[in-house]
Order: sequence, then C-alpha cells, then structure tokens
Amino acid sequence: MPVAFPRPRARRAVIVAGARTPFQRAFTRFLKLDAVDLGAAAVRGLLDQTGLPGSEVDSIVWGGVILPSGAPNVGRELGLDIGLPRTLEAMTVSRACASGLQAVTLAAAAIERGEADVVIAGGGDSTSNAEVKMGQRFVHAMAPMALGKKMGAKDWLGVAAQLAPIKEILPQKPEIAERSTGQLMGEAAEEMAERNGITREAQDELARDSHHKAAAAREAGVFDDEIVPVTVGDEVIRHDGMIRPDTSLEKLAKLRPVFKKGGTLSAGNSSALTDGAGAVLLMSDRKARALGFTPLACFRSWAYAGVDPADQLLIAPAIAMPRALDRAGMELSDIDLVDMHEAFAAQVLSVTKALDSDAWARERLGREKSVGAVDFSRFNIAGGSLALGHPFAATGARMVTTMARALHREDKQTALLGICAAGGLGAAAVLERV
Amino acid sequence: MSDFLVDLGANRRARNVIKKLGLPVPLPEKLRRGEGPWPARPLEDREVAVGGAPAGELHTVIAHTLAATGASTLLVGLEEAASGFAEAAEAFARPYRGVDRVPDDTQVHALLFDASGIASVDDLKTLYGFFHRNIGRLARSGRVVVLSRVPAEQRTPAAACAQRAIEGFVRSLAKELGARGSTANLLRVADGGDSRIEAPLRWFLGPWSAFVTAQALTVSRSVQWAVEASFERPLDQKNVLVTGAARGIGAATARRIADEGARVFVLDRPEDADAAATLARTIGGIPVAVDITTPEAATTLISLAEEHGGFDAVVHNAGVTRDKTLKRMDEERWDLTLDVNLGAVLRLIAALGEGHMNENARIVLLSSVAGIAGNFGQTNYAASKAGLLGLLEVAAPRLAASGVALNAVAPGFIETRMTAAIPAATREGARRLSALSQGGQPVDVAEAITFLCTPGAAAFSGQLMRVCGGALIGA
Repeated sequence: MPVAFPRPRARRAVIVAGARTPFQRAFTRFLKLDAVDLGAAAVRGLLDQTGLPGSEVDSIVWGGVILPSGAPNVGRELGLDIGLPRTLEAMTVSRACASGLQAVTLAAAAIERGEADVVIAGGGDSTSNAEVKMGQRFVHAMAPMALGKKMGAKDWLGVAAQLAPIKEILPQKPEIAERSTGQLMGEAAEEMAERNGITREAQDELARDSHHKAAAAREAGVFDDEIVPVTVGDEVIRHDGMIRPDTSLEKLAKLRPVFKKGGTLSAGNSSALTDGAGAVLLMSDRKARALGFTPLACFRSWAYAGVDPADQLLIAPAIAMPRALDRAGMELSDIDLVDMHEAFAAQVLSVTKALDSDAWARERLGREKSVGAVDFSRFNIAGGSLALGHPFAATGARMVTTMARALHREDKQTALLGICAAGGLGAAAVLERV
Repeated sequence: MSDFLVDLGANRRARNVIKKLGLPVPLPEKLRRGEGPWPARPLEDREVAVGGAPAGELHTVIAHTLAATGASTLLVGLEEAASGFAEAAEAFARPYRGVDRVPDDTQVHALLFDASGIASVDDLKTLYGFFHRNIGRLARSGRVVVLSRVPAEQRTPAAACAQRAIEGFVRSLAKELGARGSTANLLRVADGGDSRIEAPLRWFLGPWSAFVTAQALTVSRSVQWAVEASFERPLDQKNVLVTGAARGIGAATARRIADEGARVFVLDRPEDADAAATLARTIGGIPVAVDITTPEAATTLISLAEEHGGFDAVVHNAGVTRDKTLKRMDEERWDLTLDVNLGAVLRLIAALGEGHMNENARIVLLSSVAGIAGNFGQTNYAASKAGLLGLLEVAAPRLAASGVALNAVAPGFIETRMTAAIPAATREGARRLSALSQGGQPVDVAEAITFLCTPGAAAFSGQLMRVCGGALIGA
C-alpha cells in the first residue's frame, strides 16, 4: 500500500502564495456573503497580492462542504464573478472538512502530471448560508402541484393526508450529523474523549493555548500578508473574529458541556461554526521561476484514510499522518512543525494519544513502535481551528498557507499536516520547504 | 414455524399470570439472534466480565478479542492480566474496569473464564468461585464461555482430571441457564492453538450461537493456515457450494453465506430446480440442478469448479428421511437414505478431492443428534448420520495438513417443514427436551455452518458442533 516516496519527479508542484478572508463566527459579519462571495474574496485577494494576471491561471480547484444547491460548482462561479477569463476551467470537490486540502493536493497532482502549470486551489464555506431543507415527504407530496398538475379537491386532501403529522411541513434543523449513524459530530467527539480518557482540563488547556498562540501570531503580524480585507457594507473586516487573547483555564472551565450531560466538551474546546475562505497558488517549479515567484514549499507526500464512522469518528488522522510520513520516507522526529485541524480539543488529543501508542501502532498501523509523541512546542504554532474558527473547506487551505510561510519565516524544513473529517475520514500531508 | 409457548413467554403479562398461578407451563425465553452480516464490532458497548484461574495463559488474546469486538470489559480480580487488558484498551480505545465482582447494578452480556491455568482439584475452586459470585448478574440470552486446555495433553493425572472436570461443570451450567435463554460452552485450547481463539470466541460470545449450548469444542492449530481471520464479509468473493439448498436449513444457509459475501452454488435435485433458481436469483448465486446420487453429479461439480475457479467451501447439507421401524423398513428406504446421506457425500468429497478445492477450503458435514443418540424409526437415518462422524474422524486430520478444515454440525430439534409433520404431542415433547426448552430455527444451524465456512474456522478440525439447544438426549 505505501507508495515509494520520494520518487524522482520530472515536474514539481510548488506553493508560491496563499491568502484567505478573515474568519468570522457564523451568523455575524459575513451573514450576507455566501460561499461564492467568500471564495471570490479570497481568490481576488490572492491575485491582487501576487499581481498574477488571471490569464496565467490554467485551472481552479475549489473545495466546499455546504455547497449551494443552485450552484454547487463554487469554483466556477467565483471565477466568473471576479472576472477571470471565461475560458478558465474550474471544478469543486467535497471531502467534508478535508475538502480544502483535497483541492490543494489535486492541484499539485495535476501540475505534477503535466496537466497544468498554474492552479488556484482552496475552499470555503458559509455556514450562515446553509440551506434549510424541507422534509422529503413534504417535497414529494407537493411535487404534483409544483409541476403544474391540475389539482382537484380530492388531490388536495390527499396532499394534506400525506403531511400529517404537522412536523413534516416544518423546515428541518440543519445539524452536523453522520448520515450512516445519525450521531452528531460533537457526540462522537464526546465519546472519543471518554473512551480515550481525555480530561476536560486537558481539552481546555489545548483550547487556551490555541487562542494564546493565535493571538500572539496576530500581534506579531503573521497573518497580515495572509488575510485579505473583506468589505461588507461600510465596514472593512481585516482580522479574524473569534480569537480570545484573554481566555484562561478559569474562564473555559465555567462553560457548560454542550453535547452530553456531565460531558467534557464545551463551546470553548469545540470549534465553532464559521464563515470564510482560503486560496493557495500552486505552480510548476519551472513556471514559478519563469514568472519570478519564490517557491515557498512543496508536498513531499500526502495521504487520506478512512475508519469506521461508528467506532471513533474523528481518529483517522492517526492513520493518515503515519501513512503520509511513510510515503515521505520520514519519521515524526524528522518533522519540524506539526499543524492539526482542531475540530475538537478531544479529537486532537485522541489522535496524538494514538500516535504515541505502541498498541495502536501494532493493531492499526502494522508498525512495531509508536509513531511518537507530538512535541506541543512545535504544534499549531499560529493557533488552530479552536481559536481561528473552522469554515470547513477553508481550513485545509489555511493550514497549507500558514505552514508554507512558517517554514520560511521560522527557517524550518518540514511540516506535517493532519485533518479529521466527517464520515470517519482523515487527511495528512508532509510539506517541505523549497 | 411459531412456538406458542415462546410467544406466550415473550408476553410479560401472560408470563406474570402463569407465574403467579404457579401453572406448570414452561415459558422458554425468546432467543436473541443475529441479523444480517457480521458487524464490525458485534459486542459494541456490551458488558463482558472476565475471570480466570491464576497462571492462565490466554489473557492477551482474550483482551484483544474483547476490545476488538467493542465490548466493555470488566476484569474480575486477575490483576496479573491487567497490563494486557490495558494495552488492548489503548489500541481500540475500549477502557476496561477492574472489579472484585460484577457490581449489583450491572447486568453483563457474558461471563468469560480463562481456565487454562487450572492444574489441580483445588484450582477448580476458582472456577466455582467466579461463577458462584457472578452468575446472578448474567443478562437474559447471555453467554458463558470457558476456555480450558485439552485434558489428554496434560502432564499430570491431577491436571488432566481437573481439566476434564471443567467440561462437566460447563455442561451442567448450560442446563441451569437454559430457562433464561442463556448458553454455556467450552473451548478446549490445544497446545499451540492460543492464537486461533479469536474467531470462535467472537462467535460463541455473539448472537449467532443462540441455539448452541452445552458444547465442548477443541481449538487447535491442526489446520495449516497462514492467512488472517477476517470478520467483516469473511466470505467475500468465495465460491461456496451448498447441497440441498432449495429449502429449509439449506436455503437458510445459502442466504447467510451469501450475506457474508460469497458466491453460492445453490444445488438441489432437478425436481426442486424452480425453488433453487428463485433462491439463487435473490442471493446472486448460481443454481445447480442435479441429483447428488447420480454419476452426473460429480462431473457437473467438477466442470463448475473449473469454470469458476474451484470451491472455497462445500456444505454437504442434502439429506432425506425415510422413517419406518426396522421390521417394516423396505430395502428402498434403506438404500435411498444411506446413499443420499452418506454414499453421495463420500463420493463428492472424493471427486472434488484437492484439485477442485481451493487453498484454505472448508468442508461442513450435516450430521444429526439422531446420529449420535439414535432415534425410534430411524435406523437408516441414524446410521447414515453416524457414518458421517466416522468420515469426520478419519478425513479431518488428513485434510488439515493441506489447509482444509473439515467439521460437522449436528442439528437437534429444528422448526422446519420436516418437523412440522411430526404429530403434535410428540413434537411438543421433542421441543421441550432441551436446556433452552424450545426448538431451533433453520437460521441457527445456518449460522453455525456459516461460521465453519469462514477463514477463522481454521481453529477447528474434525469438530462436531451440536446445534440442539442443549438437547437432553445423546450428550
């Protein structure tokens, strides 16, 4: 199964730039912007920042989780909206919370296969604009009317009879629930916390650190070149909206459990619904140099993994990350920076616990020894989703951009990315400084 | 076929009335059975209490199996085993609890005891103690599984007698538990067989063994086997031949085997071709219309094997009854019964030989409790079914060397068209003469056969599993 990496590559895809919108809590300042608007803002910002003419772009690969049903190919729509050439092809992919990384790795693969020289990849979601669904029975009952069938009194009665009880005609509350198990993601994370023995204190500590690191990074101007300002009405939004520099264990401890009575997951140690988008500019090595760009990083490997969603829904990064390391021919100890999506503090700590377990390694990875302990001083150095927010498909693009830039800024060589996703999926990648 | 008393017993109000009035009516427990294919974690969140004698050697495999099946483990005493349980808990994120005894507020799905360390009469006290203290905490349709060693392999007479004593204990416990729909079985682990316990342990702890109780089977390493046991779609892409598959136990077996991913060859005689074809269509199998007593049977099967890449398992299920007391039994009844049930099986096994059976193949014979105990009016049938056991004893070791596991199941009273034809009073008596006080369903036999067709059945060679609900006869 592990593909022999690194293998000689005639063409190498390099990351040359990245940009994202500020991340804002859902139903706040980005309420009026849908997934296409947010994506357009990120891509426009990326092009402005790099000065790259749209005519140089060969392809857009976009990621999305809550796709607008009227225009699911968000990548295409945003290209048209911001006036990119109409001949520029585009697609949109979905792999739950790993959609952003999926888009970026697809772009890298396309470049390395020689299908394109310049690709914009990324993703974004507007959770504020999740479409409220009507019940399927309501839709089916109303269909004859909607399609213009002539309705008699008897037909109307028939429709009415199909709609009892009344809750059939009420709009359904959108929830992040697994289709196969019906379990809410937070409930699954709660179960993982319990089964892996992850305490409330440990979760709150991770959340506090995430906020403090994000705040420090913002103070230090780390995000200044990454974030493109977005104008809504009269307001220009320049910064992420959810970082709490002054949070503390005491404050976090006061929050109530949200997914289970007596549970350990609170609003403070779970990532919040967020609006935002992120874009990454990838090129072939040669093209980047020809256009005068400084490559930041390239992918040494990537890997995706699946586990049974009915078991530990969000544990798959503990399989994908070792797999990516194997493909890169590296050990965790060779890695300078680790960046993990923080869906829930409990999920991150369950994954790092598994990575550090010999028993997990033997049973699930076919390795004799554990992957190793994650060094938290090199972990999510600019904060994570708990502090920054998590506009589903934007997260992968954010992580790639932040890490590619961090490798340069911090003078490091390698970064390991890990993302958990609904459906029991995991994603990972090894980035290498160019 | 429905059983009035099982249905009555399932009605709580009726159960209470009968109990209050003290009526002498047995109320058998409605058994909890499996549904559909094997799930990834059959014991998900079910409590299993584990005990054992000191110096037991099977802790690690028990810990692994329970964690992998999703069980919540209660380790009763046995502090020496804690590290093994901790490791399995970490790998599967299934923490175990160490307790002195099963707490009063907890009902466990299963009690599992590692008796491999018992080497003397005194040691047996641990077996008594564990079950004496905890048996009251076993839920309805619960499971008791004891793991012992093989008495004949023991070095001292004391150890041999203590290990043999365990069997009497388990069989008796089975009779006591039957009224609550629970089962008790013994797995005797031969030298070198430790690593193969997982598959049988899963099966005996799971819902599929609902009608199997008071059994003692030997787990050994006799069958040459290098592949990993798989527990999800264990028969994926495998070719399985089931004879007599048009109806009854055969049809139930074909369905269950297809559930686990196999391509099933649904064989029945030409008179039943329609039923076989219908079943084959619903399970995506291949109908085979041939009379197994004819010479064409072998050639048909060989050409099928050649066309489809050999058989991975064969279930010799086809059988007939032609009952008469011996004095009245004509030659035709004798000849037909012996030929279908025994002669044809021998000929087909020989014809398929090793050339048409794939590596790690499985063969299952259908014996009968009548073959073990004898039955009025069935000299011919019992002779044929007992004859199969002779075949089992001699052929199993030979086949094991080439990786083939040959085993047999012996159904007791099963609710089929055949038993529905028995006069009501006799039928009612036959049903109640078992620890579980009820007849089995065809699917109970199908489950046992299906298990014996899977890769994990490499744990067994030459074993006879009775699917009889703990029948009081022929033990």
